[in-house]
Amino acid sequence: MSLIGKSPARPDALDKVTGGKGYPVNVRLPGMLHGKLLRSPYPHARIRRIDTSAAAKLPGVKAVLTPADVPRRKFTPVYFVPADAGSMVQDMVIMSDTVRFAGQPVAAVAATSLRIAEEALALIEVEYEELPAIFDPEAAMQPGAPVLHAHAPNNVAVNPSMGFGDLERGFAEADHIFEGVYQSHRVHTCYMEPRVCVVDCDSQGRYTVHSSMQHLFGLRQKLAYALEIPESDVRVVKPPYIGGGFGGKLDLGYIEPVAALLSRRAGRPVRIEQMRYEDFISTARHPIKVYLKTGVKKDGTFTARYSRSILDTGAHATHGAEVINVHGAFGLLMTYRCPNAKWEGYTVYTNNMIGGGYRGYGSPQACFAAESQIDEICEKLGLDPIEFRRRNAWRQGEAHPVIPGLKLDSYGFEECLARGAERIGWKSRRKANSGSGTRRRGIGFACQPLWVSGCVGFPDIYEHSGAIVKLNPDGTADLATAAMDLGSGQITTLCQIAAEELGLPMEAVRMVQNADTTTVPFDAPSHASRVTYSAGGAVRAAATVARERLLKVAGIMLEASPEDLTVADGRVSVRGAPASRSLSVAEVAQRAESPFVQHGAQGPVPTTLEEKGTIIGLSSQAPKGNPSPAAVAFVEVEVDTETGQVDVLRAVYAHDLGRLIHPQGAEGQVEGGFQQGMGYALMENLQFDPDSGTCLTGDFLDYKIPTAMEMPRDIQSVFVETNEPTGPFGAKSLSEPCITVPAPAIANAIYNAIGVRIHELPITPEKILAALGKI
Amino acid sequence: MQKLITLQVNGERHELAVEPDESLLQVLRNRLELVGPKKGCDSGGCGCCSVHVDGRVAYSCMMYAVGAEGREITTIEGIGSPATGLHRLQQAFIDAGAVQCGYCTCGIIMAAKQLLDTVKQPSEDQIRLAIAGNLCRCTGYAKIVDAIKLAAAQT
Ligand code: FES
Ligand code: FES
Repeated sequence: MSLIGKSPARPDALDKVTGGKGYPVNVRLPGMLHGKLLRSPYPHARIRRIDTSAAAKLPGVKAVLTPADVPRRKFTPVYFVPADAGSMVQDMVIMSDTVRFAGQPVAAVAATSLRIAEEALALIEVEYEELPAIFDPEAAMQPGAPVLHAHAPNNVAVNPSMGFGDLERGFAEADHIFEGVYQSHRVHTCYMEPRVCVVDCDSQGRYTVHSSMQHLFGLRQKLAYALEIPESDVRVVKPPYIGGGFGGKLDLGYIEPVAALLSRRAGRPVRIEQMRYEDFISTARHPIKVYLKTGVKKDGTFTARYSRSILDTGAHATHGAEVINVHGAFGLLMTYRCPNAKWEGYTVYTNNMIGGGYRGYGSPQACFAAESQIDEICEKLGLDPIEFRRRNAWRQGEAHPVIPGLKLDSYGFEECLARGAERIGWKSRRKANSGSGTRRRGIGFACQPLWVSGCVGFPDIYEHSGAIVKLNPDGTADLATAAMDLGSGQITTLCQIAAEELGLPMEAVRMVQNADTTTVPFDAPSHASRVTYSAGGAVRAAATVARERLLKVAGIMLEASPEDLTVADGRVSVRGAPASRSLSVAEVAQRAESPFVQHGAQGPVPTTLEEKGTIIGLSSQAPKGNPSPAAVAFVEVEVDTETGQVDVLRAVYAHDLGRLIHPQGAEGQVEGGFQQGMGYALMENLQFDPDSGTCLTGDFLDYKIPTAMEMPRDIQSVFVETNEPTGPFGAKSLSEPCITVPAPAIANAIYNAIGVRIHELPITPEKILAALGKI
Repeated sequence: MQKLITLQVNGERHELAVEPDESLLQVLRNRLELVGPKKGCDSGGCGCCSVHVDGRVAYSCMMYAVGAEGREITTIEGIGSPATGLHRLQQAFIDAGAVQCGYCTCGIIMAAKQLLDTVKQPSEDQIRLAIAGNLCRCTGYAKIVDAIKLAAAQT
């Protein structure tokens, strides 16, 4: 293999360093109007009356929309499931006359300029009937609490549970039982490109959509469903790239259907770009309160694990209906071996903003709880936390604990533990709180022992991919797929996989720009750490088809059997024959598309019927499995006991990714994931006024994310290559655990430094000082 | 009431009628179609809109276009392009793998350029401080710092 494991330059980088024209935020169409949403100041209210007459009369206003003007069909906006999926809750409409969170859109306008649109919004009169609001999910479950949706009288949207074994017996067999409560908070993905769309309704009532999103086909389907039109009447254009997503662009927003309806009314394209404060209330990682009860033997063997999770989903269920399951299954129930376990989840409506998708999808909240508690158990029982986890770990070759029918064919968890420990210098770690002075150092770690490379085994979730690989007469190949590049390098790895399979240099494979839902096969979203494994598998399969055709044509030209041919570095040659008996891929591709007599350097050459036909490969397939990566993060922190400030000094992140395709890109995932995980642990927090429910952290001055100053200077990636048999060139996934493990690792390191355990994120200086008894 | 102004951007003069409250970022993006400066927040918090004004880095979202009259504006488009050749920082960002989604990239390169214009061999502290006004959500900054070091080493 010549390209796998190397780090060729990203094909999209040159464009991005010289201006970056390809973002959806740059899309401009002739005659385009600017849309703007009017948002409710109240968290819970009924709209009595809306008067838009003054706004409609303002010169330059071309369309106005109110809840009375939108289709009433209820849907789930989540891209990766069918809009009517039974596992989800269909509780959204495009614009409702009941307001359930502060900032919910209640009307919209489209005008010839943004300035006029803003003026028009100020002219819309809305009469609200305020309703009592509820912001605490546990209070919302109590009888007598305000009810948000008629279908959920106790405000519980979904209430899944899972378990196995005999919990009572498990606790009876335990030598020790530990109980704890762990609270996580609401954070934003902070993609840098705002959510933005341009929707154009043509004279036939068909829509062309440009949007900053993570899933072409999900957007097509959800938009069509919400608008109550056939799916084929929506064409979604694939942007060359978008400015980040991290799960925050994994659902139909308010903006796309509103822009579509405004465009239909105005007969012109409509663009809506969210302001940053609108983005902050559009999507968030859900706060989850986890009650954990764990039984262990003296030696640290689990005998019983029970957990209950209360997830605050805000005004609508959307992702909250699925996040709770991933959180329970992959975060709490199945991470380690335990014979008796049970988990119950509650996804609860409140008048808070709607939660969304965010890298890790429920696992960061679970990992914080479970990995904090394991360290508490070890501290109490005097056990080595690495040995504890190893004792309870799954082993390679075992049946997959979550997905029936799969095995842990490649599983390098223990190697991650061992190599990470070695790299951070675990042996030099001191006993908790054994330092002196006001600046105390500590080392800690946390694990995500089991994760996914897609969603095989989840009955309602799409999990297939497709690709088209087409050879050009100059020896290059076009690769078309619906898989979006959110920034994490999908264009690069997919081109690399195609080039490797076709025996072409990296530069010879190019991702098709502006493909759309009419020209490429269906693909599940860029989410769930799935693209390298699942879309990579589909790309490889399409490239294999093209390669077979290439060798067939070359075989005729070289008078050799295709089995005797190899292709490498852009040349097809006969195994064992002199180099002169070879052809460039370009020559073969030209022959395949040539007229019946081909005129070349050797003069006219007659060609055969079998040679005719563009060399092209197509795939559309579900992946073979859902192999589980594993991850461990070790960190060293320094805590200032006078100020409560925590500095993360260094981090070592070990991950079993099957096979490393692009080392530089993989390290980038780790380093960026650590930034998000560290921000989650220490500083990021979406905050709301307790009375009005309005967002208090609506810009980056109030919502703090780590800058280059706060980040540790030393972040090391340790990649464990277990070579997954079903993965493209052995690969499985990377992205999400990078963000899951830092928070509990930091919490455990803080304990090691100062002997103080914080059970509630984020771990702010105030909480540390309070725990030290200093304030 | 629109106001007629003359802007000097990337060495070219532009006569423009702008609203008095239009930001420099809006004018660059919407009127001059220079999309290198990006809007990430429009409130001085992310640095995606960074440009040079008289050789010093500035958030173009926080500056009125009328206030930029008579000053020399430089955007990423003015420091290097595939046609004119890349600035060494642009090449270093590609080589070091400092670009992921890229939405922050143009702003960060402009911030880094001011540093390299004034300090030939900056320390890591200086590099991190120079880009502390720019947020990146993809990279964790590690490869961005590497890229700036790489570019500095090429002088
Ligand atoms: S857009 Fe100017 S600082 Fe964010
Ligand atoms: S590369 Fe995406 S924000 Fe920096």
